[in-house]
Amino acid sequence: MAEVVLKDVVKTYGNIFAVNHVSLKVADGEFVALVGPSGCGKTTTLNLVAGLIPMSGGDVMIGDRVVTDLDPKDRDIAMVFQNYALYPNKSVYNNLAFPLQMRKLSKSEIDSKVQAAAKVLDITHLLQRKPRELSGGQQQRVALGRALVRDPKVFLMDEPLSNLDAKLRVQMRSEIKRFHQDLNATIIYVTHDQLEAVTMADKMAVMNGGFLQQYDTPANVFAHPVNMFVASFVGSPAMSLIPLTAATKGTDVVLTSAEGWELPLSPVNSQKALKAKSNKVVLGARHSTVRLHKSQVPGSVPGKVYTVEPTGDVTFAQVFVSSAILNISLAPSVVIRPDETVFIEFDQERMHLFDGETEMALAG
Amino acid sequence: MSSVSMTSRRKPIDWWRMSGRVFLVLLLIFTILPMAWMVITSLKTGFAAMQYPPQWWPTEPTLDNYIRLLDPSQNIGRDFLRYFLNSIFVSVVTTVLAVVIAVPAAYAFSRFHFPGRTFMFFAVLLRNMFPAVIFLVPLFILMRWLGLVNTHGSLILTYLTFGLPLAIWLLKGFYDNIPIQLEQAARIDGATRFQAFFLIVMPLSSPGIIATSIYSFIGAWNEYIYAYTFLNKNDTMTLPVGIQRFFAENATDWPGLMAATFMMSIPVVVLFLVLQKYFVRALTEGAVKH
Repeated sequence: MAEVVLKDVVKTYGNIFAVNHVSLKVADGEFVALVGPSGCGKTTTLNLVAGLIPMSGGDVMIGDRVVTDLDPKDRDIAMVFQNYALYPNKSVYNNLAFPLQMRKLSKSEIDSKVQAAAKVLDITHLLQRKPRELSGGQQQRVALGRALVRDPKVFLMDEPLSNLDAKLRVQMRSEIKRFHQDLNATIIYVTHDQLEAVTMADKMAVMNGGFLQQYDTPANVFAHPVNMFVASFVGSPAMSLIPLTAATKGTDVVLTSAEGWELPLSPVNSQKALKAKSNKVVLGARHSTVRLHKSQVPGSVPGKVYTVEPTGDVTFAQVFVSSAILNISLAPSVVIRPDETVFIEFDQERMHLFDGETEMALAG
Repeated sequence: MSSVSMTSRRKPIDWWRMSGRVFLVLLLIFTILPMAWMVITSLKTGFAAMQYPPQWWPTEPTLDNYIRLLDPSQNIGRDFLRYFLNSIFVSVVTTVLAVVIAVPAAYAFSRFHFPGRTFMFFAVLLRNMFPAVIFLVPLFILMRWLGLVNTHGSLILTYLTFGLPLAIWLLKGFYDNIPIQLEQAARIDGATRFQAFFLIVMPLSSPGIIATSIYSFIGAWNEYIYAYTFLNKNDTMTLPVGIQRFFAENATDWPGLMAATFMMSIPVVVLFLVLQKYFVRALTEGAVKH
């Protein structure tokens, strides 16, 4: 295994930057998820690491080798594709054997490695089958097997779970995580599903519009999103964002809504709000950090219930607060009705403030 | 009472289905009859072939006509065998060249983005938008200028201009349908670009390659007008022209003519029967999850 370093990587198509000066370092044995909405440049970035498309600028290093100008075959990597890309005319055995045959290993060596990989993934009984005779989950295992049979420096995975049904996806998710722990493998994993990234990865790289937005542990990305995009992308349901106006009242700052209510900020949050470029400040709150009251309490603001979604364990409510939707999780025992007026109390410690102009997080 | 309920339960006759079958049977007779007549006549003596009313089945069936045509010690046999070999040569070379050129061309059109790609693909197809006969005179002038008249080269070049556009178009469709990830996987697994194409993509396009081959071969094998125009020496003639000449010189030898045409149709039928098996197998083997 080896570390992977991307240095100022650029990929352009005409005037469009698919990948815009992305730099990041994946430590040896680390599981990094590249995550973002479709078209954000995550798969392009992975293909650049793989060497499948030519780079427009920057460098990629695997181990202590610059691989920028090397062919994919010389980079010592393995890749798992979204559609598995199993060779349809080869048996499972020959699919697994192909990377070893290309490296001109002896027949007996190939056989022992294929058998070992098949044993790890529990596909020994499928070796003589053709890919089309396998279920989605089995094809997925064969694709993993073809990647691990060669003991490469890095595993690249391009949305490997998105063709599976929901139940199998959860199962394979833990299997891939297990696979990472057992092999101590360096893995770069592309997904559009932030939940996969949060649950599996040591670090997540959130991308949007070709830019790397934030690169940190899932816990840190969740707790300290650098901007409004990351805040609304990570977490389910998403963080609610309420655009408000900041005004000073003595030494403190209050956020005022178009409807006329005021939300006084704590001294720490006042400090943050004062750093905004203008008086436009966006309040961010996760569903679990806000409390709902049936009647007015000090520091609460009014809202109107939009929908109520009971899930059993927890009830999710969407409440209109100053014409923005606020997600709230409630105990199932709380009974509220659509169109009911409620009062929302924000947790000053755990609320997020963003600059309304730059969309960047405001820090103290 | 019970008999009434029995009949009402019986399935009604599906007249639509029935008439479809009758039509198919008529069509089959219409297609088979000339071929059957060809074979029957080829087994008759010259005298029996001229009788009226005709003999539906020869009273004295004979293989003489075939033996004559296949006997190199006779003039007629020598000519026929020469035409046959000429046809084989022209058709095989055309087919091999068509595949060798069309496979990389179609792959390039399918996979690579280069300036003028759309224009070039259109230009390739443009040739097939006109009836072949339009190009007869210009191509003859061109061949004369190239000094290729009376050579097999003139025919091979001409047949390629018919066959290649369709071959490229057909194969491009096959390559478009093969996910690019298969090649990418192969390249990551240690293959060069060429190996990825040769070891993974090309086997998957074998139905297309076989279909292309059959098409090119049959096109070249049956072609008459160009062969008639470009070749006027006995030793270069292909079967369609040769048989026509044979007919012109021996206007009454119907059984001989029929034997010759029957033998001419054998390679095409055999080729199709043999390759059809691979064709179907290759088609069912693809199965890629999209």
